[in-house]
Amino acid sequence: MNIWSILSLVIVILILIPNITILFNFFTQKAENWNHIHEYILPDLLKNTGLLIVFTGFLTIIIGTSLAWIVSAYEFPMKKFFKWGLILPLAIPPYIAGYTYNGILNYTGVLQTTLRNNWDIEVDQVYFNILNLPGAVFIFTLFLFPYVYTITRAFLANQSASLIENARLLGRSPVDIFFRVVLPISRGAIVGGVSLVLLEVLNDYGVVQYFGVPTFSTAIFQTWFGMNDLNSAIKLSATLMFIVFAILTLEKVLRGRKKYASTTAKARPLHPTQLKGWKAWGAFGYCLFIFLLGFLIPFVQLVDWMLLTFEKIASPEFTTLIWNSLLVSFVGALLIVLFAVIIANFSRMHQSALSKSAAKVTILGYSIPGAVIAVGISTVFIGLDSGLSSFYESTGLESRLFLSTSLVILISAYIIRFLAIGYNSIESGFDKIGNKYTEASRMLGMNMTRTFFKVDLKMIKAPLISGFLLAFIEIIKELPLTLILRPFNFGTLSTNAFKYASDEQIHEAALASIIIVVISAIAVFVFHQVLEKESN
Amino acid sequence: MRNNKWFLMSFILILSMFVLAACGGDDQEETSESNEEETTNTEENSEENASEETGGEVNLYTGRHYDTDQELYDKFEEETGIKVNVIEGKDDELIARLDREGEASEADLLITADAGRLHRAKSQELLQPIESDVLSENIPEKFRDEDNNWFGLTKRARIIAYHKERVNEEDVQTYMDLTKDELQDKVLIRSSSNIYNQSLVASMIATEGEEAAKEWAQGIVDNMARDPQGGDRDQAKAVAAGEGDVAVMNTYYMGKMLNSEDEEEVKVAEQLEIMFPNQDTTGTHVNISGVGVTASSQNTENAKKFIEFLSKEEAQKQFAEANYEYPVNPNVEPSELLQSWGEFKEQDIRLNELGENNDRAIQIMNEVGWK
Repeated sequence: MNIWSILSLVIVILILIPNITILFNFFTQKAENWNHIHEYILPDLLKNTGLLIVFTGFLTIIIGTSLAWIVSAYEFPMKKFFKWGLILPLAIPPYIAGYTYNGILNYTGVLQTTLRNNWDIEVDQVYFNILNLPGAVFIFTLFLFPYVYTITRAFLANQSASLIENARLLGRSPVDIFFRVVLPISRGAIVGGVSLVLLEVLNDYGVVQYFGVPTFSTAIFQTWFGMNDLNSAIKLSATLMFIVFAILTLEKVLRGRKKYASTTAKARPLHPTQLKGWKAWGAFGYCLFIFLLGFLIPFVQLVDWMLLTFEKIASPEFTTLIWNSLLVSFVGALLIVLFAVIIANFSRMHQSALSKSAAKVTILGYSIPGAVIAVGISTVFIGLDSGLSSFYESTGLESRLFLSTSLVILISAYIIRFLAIGYNSIESGFDKIGNKYTEASRMLGMNMTRTFFKVDLKMIKAPLISGFLLAFIEIIKELPLTLILRPFNFGTLSTNAFKYASDEQIHEAALASIIIVVISAIAVFVFHQVLEKESN
Repeated sequence: MRNNKWFLMSFILILSMFVLAACGGDDQEETSESNEEETTNTEENSEENASEETGGEVNLYTGRHYDTDQELYDKFEEETGIKVNVIEGKDDELIARLDREGEASEADLLITADAGRLHRAKSQELLQPIESDVLSENIPEKFRDEDNNWFGLTKRARIIAYHKERVNEEDVQTYMDLTKDELQDKVLIRSSSNIYNQSLVASMIATEGEEAAKEWAQGIVDNMARDPQGGDRDQAKAVAAGEGDVAVMNTYYMGKMLNSEDEEEVKVAEQLEIMFPNQDTTGTHVNISGVGVTASSQNTENAKKFIEFLSKEEAQKQFAEANYEYPVNPNVEPSELLQSWGEFKEQDIRLNELGENNDRAIQIMNEVGWK
């Protein structure tokens, strides 16, 4: 037992407690509506959830991987921009994207009104209706594929040079190389990216609720609030956890046992081939098409709406909102990276059951709907507060729920929810450098902690920064936890956007949405610069 | 030396936790000590007390999200010196939060839409009775809880919006008309997860009984133009687009669309006519948004003042018009637009029944396959 294992254990326990709180009720009471749910709702839930996962997973793999390959292996017009421009859809929260696309496509949207007013063309709504399961798949695919794209591209850029160049020398066609070399070697990265996508999909409430696609998260809310049957809601959550567990196990199986630690100290980046003629424009067109759909079109629409309502909405209060958003995102992301490093380093050095499960636990929070996590965590904090009540009294604090009504609870919730994001990034960093430097340093008599500060930390600087930025973007976009765990008079950009969107005032929600997108876009750009630096 | 690093790190961590806690609690720190000096003067003549400063604060959980509401809170603070601290959120989650916080909760007031929800908060013992002559006078009995646990503030009706040219007025006189064969594939309505639909079905259970309510729900599902999707405005747009002919929606969404900054939305709303159903029978289904004082309230007196303030004429006007709703105070005229729709007969049931029948309503909707 050293400081690393102790710290890891503490963090793991902290994350587990709220989840255990949720599951604890699972065995304690009978869920009165379970039979009703089982009979009338569950089949539909499983069907919808299954379809969403399968199609979104499939499409994000296709789009994410093919883009990663094109951008890594070829030169074509504007490639420098697309390299990071294709990460930008990550800056738009999916539920805002859903509202925006419906706003573009519906009867009063820009497309149909233009057709109607300029050419008198009335169209069949079927072609424009996005509020359904395929529409939800469309939104999830477009705004979540960057997970697959980013992770796969980082992998290809750093790792694949020798294999791919050899295949080229042996005269394989590009298509052949893609299917027979690229896909197999980057399997781990692809699967890692897709699991993040699927967990996001399972967690989503905003999109599916508005699009009228009943899934687990909508059913959890319906039974919990509508039927006032917490136990059935927990049973549903547990079923969902089971599905997540199955996905994660599948991921392990799919990843196989291969470790691709690079054999040389400096992995050679892949040297891109120059494309010419129609091929170059084809690659350009494909990237542009995805970029337009996934970023530019919704962004321009949001700007248009913002201009419509700017006078009405803009107020000095927005400075506070921006500041609040930045504060919680910064502190949250910082702590996530700190905790993720501790656990990742521990599980790397100790191949024990404990360390393996520690790594698994980090992903737990990512798999449960935010509102359910909020219940678990606030139950814990309220208990903590009542335990501390005599201490509060002695210090003369007015509040009896000091921690539960402070930002501490909110930040803790972010950590539980998004630790997986930071952890994934850092774990892949550790994977890449392997253990040989660390082992060398240990052989030379440095202990684990010193080695960490002197050797390891310097080598995983880039994954640390990437992990921080991804967590930062996630937190600034996050809604359900922020909404229900925030202190009095504390608003963020995302709660402000929700405030309007919830009353179907999407035009009014545009201003806060745009600020979120712009801040996230800056973070994406920095994130990209970090990756670039690393690969050069 | 090495251990110092860890000490330092954990120290900074703990320190930052507390700094954060302090940040979040900022506004809470300023509690004035004058809580004991509450004026026990309950004669609430607004002219008389307008400038009286009692100080203190009141903490509000609200499911309403209108910028004009904030203006009213500021006005209340100006008049009374009582600071209003606000957490806005989703109605259901705020009620669940209250429930978890229990006795220690810092909230004094809960404002939420839908009488069924108010009843739920009451039945979970989250609210306390408030005796006030001002409220008895300003709010009709029908829109108050019989034990004074909650008070309605605004009203809205769930109406049928039908296409002016494609539908005859005679064919949509009642909610039951929506289930007729003539309207096969013509009805647009939101999903069963929408609380206003749940309360509509709950009200039918109260007026017609479970069997009839289930038949009605089945009839609606058979006549749906498409699977339920989107919000109220999306139903209206679908009528304009020709996907169906009639939409079930709340009155205030019609108000919002007619006053939208997007002229296309205005055009959509102008193609629709409003029908207040069941005028010759049980009356149109009316729901409220309302407020209650929490059981855990530490500032009960201030909370009471706040509700009284919102029930008075000038506040009522603004509070209702913020969202094109009907004021609950009978002495306050609704906005011109609402007046132009005319007077209508309201459903006459105990509003608590909307809450009592809510579970059953959801089950019925699930059973008939209302998505």
